[in-house]
Amino acid sequence: MIALVRMSAGLIVWAVAFCVLYALHGLGCARGWATIGLGATSAHRAVLIAAWLLCIGTAIGVAVWRWPARTGTLVERTGWRLALVGVAATAITGLPIVTLPACL
Amino acid sequence: MKALKLHHDLTTIWRTEPGWRGVLRSVNHSDMGKRFIVGAFAFFAIGGVLAMLIRAQLATPDSAFVGPEVYNQLFTMHGSIMMFLFAIPMFEGLALYLLPKMLGARDMAYPRLSALGWWCYLFGGSILIVAMLAGVAPDAGWFLYPPLSGKQWTPGINSDVWLLGITFVEISAMCAAIEIAVSILRLRAPGMRLDRMPLFAWYLLATAAMMLFGFPPLILGSILLEIERAFGWPFYTPALGGSPLLWQHLFWLFGHPEVYIIFLPAAGAVSTILPVMARTRILAYGALVAAMMALAFLSFGLWVHHMFTTGIPHMALGFFSAASTLVAIPTAVQVFAWIGTLWSGRPQMKLPMLYLIGFFVVFVLGGLTGVMLAVVPFDQQAHDTAFVTAHLHYVLVGGFVFPMLAAAYYWLPHFTGRERVMQLGETAFWLIFIGFNMTFFLMHLTGLLGMPRRVDTYSDAMGWTWLNLLSSVGSFVMAFGFALFTIDVGLQIWLGRHHRRNPWQAGTLEWAMPIPAPAYNFASLPQVAGRDPLYDQPDLGVVLARGQGWLGAARHGWRETMAVDMVTGEPDHIVILPGNSWLPIATAGVLAGFFLTMLAGLYWIAPLFLVGVGVLGWRWAWTNGTRVDHGPLPAGPGVALPLSTEAPGTTGWWGSVFALAASATLFASLLFGYAFLWTVAPDWPPPQLIARTLLEPALALLGAVLAIVGVRRAGPDGRTALALAAGGQIALFLALVLLAVLRLPSPASHAYAATGAVVAAYAIFHAALAATMLAFARARIASGHIGGARLGELRIVRLWSDHAAGAGVVSTLVLALPGWIA
Repeated sequence: MIALVRMSAGLIVWAVAFCVLYALHGLGCARGWATIGLGATSAHRAVLIAAWLLCIGTAIGVAVWRWPARTGTLVERTGWRLALVGVAATAITGLPIVTLPACL
Repeated sequence: MKALKLHHDLTTIWRTEPGWRGVLRSVNHSDMGKRFIVGAFAFFAIGGVLAMLIRAQLATPDSAFVGPEVYNQLFTMHGSIMMFLFAIPMFEGLALYLLPKMLGARDMAYPRLSALGWWCYLFGGSILIVAMLAGVAPDAGWFLYPPLSGKQWTPGINSDVWLLGITFVEISAMCAAIEIAVSILRLRAPGMRLDRMPLFAWYLLATAAMMLFGFPPLILGSILLEIERAFGWPFYTPALGGSPLLWQHLFWLFGHPEVYIIFLPAAGAVSTILPVMARTRILAYGALVAAMMALAFLSFGLWVHHMFTTGIPHMALGFFSAASTLVAIPTAVQVFAWIGTLWSGRPQMKLPMLYLIGFFVVFVLGGLTGVMLAVVPFDQQAHDTAFVTAHLHYVLVGGFVFPMLAAAYYWLPHFTGRERVMQLGETAFWLIFIGFNMTFFLMHLTGLLGMPRRVDTYSDAMGWTWLNLLSSVGSFVMAFGFALFTIDVGLQIWLGRHHRRNPWQAGTLEWAMPIPAPAYNFASLPQVAGRDPLYDQPDLGVVLARGQGWLGAARHGWRETMAVDMVTGEPDHIVILPGNSWLPIATAGVLAGFFLTMLAGLYWIAPLFLVGVGVLGWRWAWTNGTRVDHGPLPAGPGVALPLSTEAPGTTGWWGSVFALAASATLFASLLFGYAFLWTVAPDWPPPQLIARTLLEPALALLGAVLAIVGVRRAGPDGRTALALAAGGQIALFLALVLLAVLRLPSPASHAYAATGAVVAAYAIFHAALAATMLAFARARIASGHIGGARLGELRIVRLWSDHAAGAGVVSTLVLALPGWIA
């Protein structure tokens, strides 16, 4: 079972990242974080960007961790591929944070 | 002679009893698989007739064929039947029938659970059909949105029929998910490493995992809506702090993965049939596994794309739009791998291949309109129009029905042992293919011209008349195609000549047996050294029939199969499976009593049936195990293995792990709902919070500690420790009951109190269950079932007890916290 969890680690990070970003977005809108200025942006967007970067960093960390597995068994190689998928998916699904209005 | 004797002995052990006893008591996976398939096809036929009635109504403008009340029931039942009573059970049936045969096992991990799932499906589905015949079918759409489905707007029992009937059927789906996952992970032929598994098993493993995490939100949503309708607890009522959007979140948290839950098994069938038709091996096995896993995960990030017009902020829509477009990539990887397989082989245009071509055309078109609908501005224009109806039919018929028709023709010789009689299947294909595209391609255009979904009629002035008429004609052409398919299958079953073994010259293990398959599948189990065992050893079937593989003898009347290491496929232990039993149908019957009394509004009688389920559950578990250690027994060439009762990490333990994962998902969905309402719903914070208290939380914490410590101290002679743990669970139970009854405001007063009461109910239920299991374990020590090396049941009880303790502590915190910080 641990082998299967390792294989899915990148995607698990994506799933957690997705939940965290969506939850922080909802919480920020409900609590009015978007109206609190923080430099050139709002506190809401700053929190979301920080969380997004942290998630991408974690996904990259998983990919680095799975790097030696890229020449292993099929299950291990698949884990390495899925770790890369996790990095790309976390980066892409979070892109609206820097491109769209938060609470409109 | 040895092969014949072995066949006779194993048949005696594994056979289904003759007559009605066999019908009611069989637990054999082949029987259950066939029943699910036939049942699902029967429901498909009913759903198809409803679709024809819908198209008859829409064929002409201002139609008076059926009134709006009946029409609402027609489209609601059509959608509900096709999603819950056809698609899921059909693949469950195929999985139950095929998986053990493809994996080199003699049955699924929990044969009685398969049978329970079948009876729950049959009884639950029958509730819906009887309600339809009585004119009280659900009529609020297959997704049953409140407030339309609430008591105010649907005062009759129509919505209750959906909520209770579908939840009953979902018990079957959860049974299947646990069964499929454990069977694939543990009950494989020795040597079948994960990377040697048939792709069909990989796809079903992902599907089972998705069901474990996808169905609980819907089950929770249905429970909450039924409680709201029955007792007025306002989860979805905005005036009292609820929100109809909570239902949409819970429903689509299930509903979108559901699309992939339906597609993935079909993709597994495609990956199995296509290389055989192309006379080659599958291309990019690893990429297919990776794409399938990516799809399984990413599909959980799409649910809000069904809610793009509900007023959710743009940024959140962007998250889901991005995930919705992203999911097209792993889907495309699979399509390209299949095309590459065709390219690298020598395809034969046999009948299954014809249906696979239909799958490619229709599914790819559906996928492309899916990408269009993933883009928010387009979706906001096309939302709730016939364009969406067309899209979903292209995806589901293309992604499931066409592959299942291919699978039917591919595996029918296995079921029947016979050849096709006439060439009706080709004609059926063209009628279905042309009829389908005529019906639904034109609906894209009707939708783009602005025709909404679910309208019972329209004016000629709208300009939709000819498109609708042609769509209706197409639907009847398609229906003729399905009728021809049915006749073709019937002719094969009753008139076909007997077929030789492995008619397609395939490489997977299900063809390494006589057809139709014997009740025990394999006289001895194979040693696997590659992905296509029959290509590696064409005479494998004969070798196994002689008993020259693993477990090649019948002993003690036991139903034996092999459990292996999850990853390496090394032999681990021998599993003794239960025989035919009354328990599955009796349990399903008592569950039916619960759901029917709830439907009748007899709320005070209904819990008695749950007690009945508990009694039968006790009996069910009691019939497992032995009172003596057998030690390692001969299992194969020079290898002796322990029985499952004496081995760690048994199928029972893993089944509990998956059941608890599903239960924890339901709990997490409930906490999500609580947080969602607190954050988003109007009229929060609530007018009255829970009373501040330390007594009950302290009692709950003490109970949890006692339960955790006690169950850990319990060994083969640990009756005192088990009593201590049970005492802890009872303390937890009491603490939560006191919190909910004495400290929480009335659940009917506000969604806050209603949600809090359900949080408490979840923990109370699990504490009661854990206390019962601890008492069971104590009784099993006294009876001698637990002792010596037979400690597996204690490990299982520890899992449930720990989960109950954890859920109790979390629930207590969630309940008490608002009182402390207010």
